[in-house]
Amino acid sequence: MHNLYSNKKVIFSLMAPGLIVFVTAILAPIILSTYYGFTNFSGIGASSFIGLENYKTLIHDSVFWTALRNSLLLSIGFICIQHPLAMLTAVKLDKLQGKTEGLFRCIFFIPNVISVAVIAYLWKFIYNPSFGLITKVLRALGYTGQLNPLGAGNAIWAVLLVLIWHGFGWGMLIYYTGVKNIDPVMYEAAAIDGASGSKTFFYITLPLMKPVIQVNVTMAVISALKQMETVYLLTAGGPGNETQFMASYLYKQAFQSYKYGYGNAISVAFIAICLVSTVALNRLFAERGE
Amino acid sequence: MKKRHIGALLCTAMIAAVLAGCSGSGKQEGAAGSDGKQTQAAATEAATAAPEKAGGDVTIKVFSNLPDRTSGQGLIEQMLFDQYRKENPNVKIEIEALDDESYKTKFKAYASGSDMPDLVSAWGQPSFLDEVIDAGLLAELNPSDYKDYGFINGALDGFSKNGKLYGLARNTDVMSFYYNKALFEQNGVTVPKTYDELLAAVEKFKAAGLIPVSMDGSDKWPLSIYITSLFQQFDGATASADMQASIKDGDYTNEAWPKVLDLYKKTVDAGMFQTGFETTDYATSMNLFTNGQSAMYYMGSWEMSMATNENIPEDIRKNIGVFSMPSVTGGKGTITDITAWNGGGHAVTANSPVKEEAIKLLNYMYLPENWSKLCWENGVCMSAQDFSKYLTGKETSLQLEFVDMVNNSTNISGTTFNDRGTNAFKTACEDSFVEFAIGKLTPDDVFNKLAAAMK
Repeated sequence: MHNLYSNKKVIFSLMAPGLIVFVTAILAPIILSTYYGFTNFSGIGASSFIGLENYKTLIHDSVFWTALRNSLLLSIGFICIQHPLAMLTAVKLDKLQGKTEGLFRCIFFIPNVISVAVIAYLWKFIYNPSFGLITKVLRALGYTGQLNPLGAGNAIWAVLLVLIWHGFGWGMLIYYTGVKNIDPVMYEAAAIDGASGSKTFFYITLPLMKPVIQVNVTMAVISALKQMETVYLLTAGGPGNETQFMASYLYKQAFQSYKYGYGNAISVAFIAICLVSTVALNRLFAERGE
Repeated sequence: MKKRHIGALLCTAMIAAVLAGCSGSGKQEGAAGSDGKQTQAAATEAATAAPEKAGGDVTIKVFSNLPDRTSGQGLIEQMLFDQYRKENPNVKIEIEALDDESYKTKFKAYASGSDMPDLVSAWGQPSFLDEVIDAGLLAELNPSDYKDYGFINGALDGFSKNGKLYGLARNTDVMSFYYNKALFEQNGVTVPKTYDELLAAVEKFKAAGLIPVSMDGSDKWPLSIYITSLFQQFDGATASADMQASIKDGDYTNEAWPKVLDLYKKTVDAGMFQTGFETTDYATSMNLFTNGQSAMYYMGSWEMSMATNENIPEDIRKNIGVFSMPSVTGGKGTITDITAWNGGGHAVTANSPVKEEAIKLLNYMYLPENWSKLCWENGVCMSAQDFSKYLTGKETSLQLEFVDMVNNSTNISGTTFNDRGTNAFKTACEDSFVEFAIGKLTPDDVFNKLAAAMK
């Protein structure tokens, strides 16, 4: 067995599938993107090499910065709102025990099971200023003004709410698993010592959940950066470009304005930002972990 | 005790979630029920031929932007394909259909590969066609084939470049205000002849708690067409040439432009369109009208089949009328200047292995007794061909109103403003008119953006 694993051919053949997928589905497109990022390709026909022109445009493109800001807002929303709530819910859920526990675990996870398209349309209708749920409820309560959550100025908050709500189930489920893995003996010992609920949480649950939190935070940041489908279906980046995220803006430039070259330049910047933030987060956690 | 509290809390959360879900899904059904032209989900269908005869089988791959194959233009297209297959049993037709936006994206993907479908939907407008023709993707057609097809004057101009013909136009599209006659009567409003009357009507409808005009602002192009109409009203007979000149030179000093934007902003601020129009999509805006929540609906003649659509309540569908952009104070245009163009159509790809067969199918579809007649008889749209001999006397009043509008027109816009430049111009144009409407841009910002997009 040992011989088999030290045989280079065997090692290679075992690694090959992964490598092939990585090279053809990830590396090659990135290299192609980098190349197209230096051209003024429109997607059809001929193109010419224009050097760093696309990147110069990018730096002065206010929408790109809006998109980046939106991703940042979303990461903050995930980390500061979604995750604390998800963790608290997970801890409470753990205490429920029995059938209710399973029931609520299932209910909280439901939004994740529903397709993104349905979620987007559902919220579009909830938010609709003419016949949406929010408007109807407010009307019933005697409010007569006009409210448009997806309108200029409010849209990004309305979108963040949906995204935070939608991703809640995942976060909760991972925390829940983390909580379940904590040895109940710890809690018993704490109870015998007379520790209160909040003390148990801060001195036992939280420290032991650290690895889970690290994973969850990294995933939250990545998913905030990668956000596309929900936003695209909910507002398509509008009104104006207020709710544009990097992926949706990239799509718009490449496939609606037919600025394929520019779209690729955005995607290269996008990849760089994702890589840098992932590495930075890992470093941060690694240092803390020591 | 504590546990119970948590339980109660979780219960409340659950009920809220369920309520949200119910309300959402209920409305969703409504949206799916109506046939929004541009918002339909993708539908793919592979149709195989009826009894096959041995030898000489041909498969024509069709790529269409009409995903709804059971109503409207998609149905007519499907009927013609079925008919053609019956008459030519050796021909197989494989159809792939997507809605406009997805269609254009996938068209591009096809274009960069070598496996283009044979017969494709195309738009005879520079924003779509220029790049496609320059890349040599479309087959040249023989104009003399269509001498007896009765295409109306100028209908094929959009599909021609440098004296060569690359496609056939499907319809004459007319942009207009659909209105609910009953709601007009109840509120003492008559069809507005001037823009001031239209604005006065807006006040009346708002006072009555109705949406004056429902607008699809999420797709953005309807607003650009609205701008085109206003420009026509201000600029008069030379509007078409002046728009083209503005785009070409990036010069928006024509005195009509500031007036257009000013009136457009006034219109939005007066609340002519529903709150949140900028994020309302095609199907939703149409539903507002067909549910009787709005008195008017700004959309093109391709929705004339609303009058016969059984999904729409009878008291509404029987009460739909139509009028064109009223004349504006200080404008050179008249109410009979209409915003109309020959946009969508079909073309055959240059590298198709069955090019001849595909052209045969194209020519068959456009025989006047096929596309033109079927569209008219089914109340779907007005073809780009002369269909006067197919008048049956059973037309809906809506159809006849459209015919009158076209017949009495004194000036026609041709391709709308947003579609007259490159694709980058189209995006910049449609975006900036929305951003201007919601107060994010000044008129000068708009003009600068339009000029920059063509550089």
